[in-house]
Amino acid sequence: MLELRLVQGSLLKKVLESIKDLVNDANFDCSSTGFSLQAMDSSHVALVSLLLRSEGFEHYRCDRNLSMGMNLGNMSKMLKCAGNDDIITIKADDGGDTVTFMFESPTQDKIADFEMKLMDIDSEHLGIPDAEYHSIVRMPSNEFSRICKDLSSIGDTVVISVTKEGVKFSTAGDIGTANIVLRQNTTVDKPEDAIVIEMKEPVSLSFALRYMNSFTKATPLSDTVTISLSSELPVVVEYKVAEMGYIRYYLAPKIEEEEDTNP
Amino acid sequence: MESDCLTPEWASQPCLIGIDEAGRGPVLGPMVYGCMYCPISYQSSLASLHFADSKTLKEEKREELYENLKLDKSLGWAVDVIDPRELSAKMLAKNKTNLNGISHNSAMGLIKRVLDMGVLLTEAYLDTVGDPEKYRIKLSERFPSIKFVVSKKADSLFPIVSGASIVAKVTRDRALREWLVEETGEDINRNFGSGYPGDPETKVWLVQHKHSVFGFPSLVRFSWGTCTTLLKGEVEVAWEADETEESGNGSSNKRQAKLSSFGFKTCDKRSEEIESSGKGRCKFFQARKIQQLTQF
Repeated sequence: MLELRLVQGSLLKKVLESIKDLVNDANFDCSSTGFSLQAMDSSHVALVSLLLRSEGFEHYRCDRNLSMGMNLGNMSKMLKCAGNDDIITIKADDGGDTVTFMFESPTQDKIADFEMKLMDIDSEHLGIPDAEYHSIVRMPSNEFSRICKDLSSIGDTVVISVTKEGVKFSTAGDIGTANIVLRQNTTVDKPEDAIVIEMKEPVSLSFALRYMNSFTKATPLSDTVTISLSSELPVVVEYKVAEMGYIRYYLAPKIEEEEDTNP
Repeated sequence: MESDCLTPEWASQPCLIGIDEAGRGPVLGPMVYGCMYCPISYQSSLASLHFADSKTLKEEKREELYENLKLDKSLGWAVDVIDPRELSAKMLAKNKTNLNGISHNSAMGLIKRVLDMGVLLTEAYLDTVGDPEKYRIKLSERFPSIKFVVSKKADSLFPIVSGASIVAKVTRDRALREWLVEETGEDINRNFGSGYPGDPETKVWLVQHKHSVFGFPSLVRFSWGTCTTLLKGEVEVAWEADETEESGNGSSNKRQAKLSSFGFKTCDKRSEEIESSGKGRCKFFQARKIQQLTQF
């Protein structure tokens, strides 16, 4: 028996919007600690890892660990039927082949039940290697989203370089080049507007903007985004989900073409 | 195909070779490179064989001369038949080889084949493809021990080249006559005329045998301009491979890496901790709560 009641239903709606473009089908894993998901995109270049801790739910009951395979497109369709102020409850029976989303309006005068068929998904659960990151950048999430959107109109690859001077996002395309430099800035009125750069070693890595743009779909979840970089490692783009957990995206960098692997 | 696999007795004498092609222009069928070689001492008797440029000879005369030269013990010959599919593929590939390049390679391939048989080639006569001087230098660099004569109309100037042109032309005509049409299910007739793009019969045949998705039967050289014009406005095929390539290219020569190359490894902890919900599995297993395990 599984019953998860989330007062801030809009959170779940936003979570779905931020992963459904990257992954089509995925297993949601429920355990006593929380509601989580880990999935790779079809080309095995990006990975999304979601955790919503049990403490964040108003009511959290999970008798046995359960893995529920869902088509995220269909799940998103159902969650779109929930109002932004609605309370969402996720319900499933052990061994059942459906999951129920219940939407309650804040005034309790409307209750909707949506039952969705589950699917059997062969998921490759990946172990994420521990890594120390050379540079960690924290910045306003809408700023990062804006940068990725702007750069993708010029080129298809972004080079993110962190130096003492700051963090530089650059791209090059057929029509020209673009460089955006952000400097550390902690003297702001609101802490979420700060740009904090922790640099142990300078790094410079290239990434496909297409993926970055799909990560920024998580912008509504959090005011800030944390980008952790290490040379020759996948970047981690993390959005905190208010007091509940996080959504992390891992993206493999683009690396120099090796001559001998060239067909 | 060649005269016979055995090295002729006269192979150790200095020999000359003539090379000519048939079917370079037509929009369909194979392109054939032919060569003929003989000892230099036999050169004077060559004239008496009445070889002439194959184009000026009637088909029956060509066949007759071909049968005669096959019997002549002092003559050797070989052909290289280039399939229309190979022509299309090479000319349309990402790293394109133009028709002149294909021709050069075929001619050099023939020379190498004859040399490998143990024939002592000292002189070679070829009809030019592209600039004669450049072609001659290219050949001389590849085969320094051979004296090359590259000229226009070599097939009417040198009997040995005329002989090669007969070998090539007869081989092409036979190949076209006996062509096995691989495409089944389509009604394919053989009234394709001369095969030259200008021939009205060929034009009609091409239009009749055009398929809106697959284009033409594999007999046709897709790389010819005639085909491109005819296929305009037909069904566009979107190739999945092209799309990934598009997203992969760009200004840098960088390659998108996969997560698996960074130690993101599949682990099996799931199978122990979390049991499968059993969706879509056989009722037998579901009812008995039988799980799939990879680790014990």
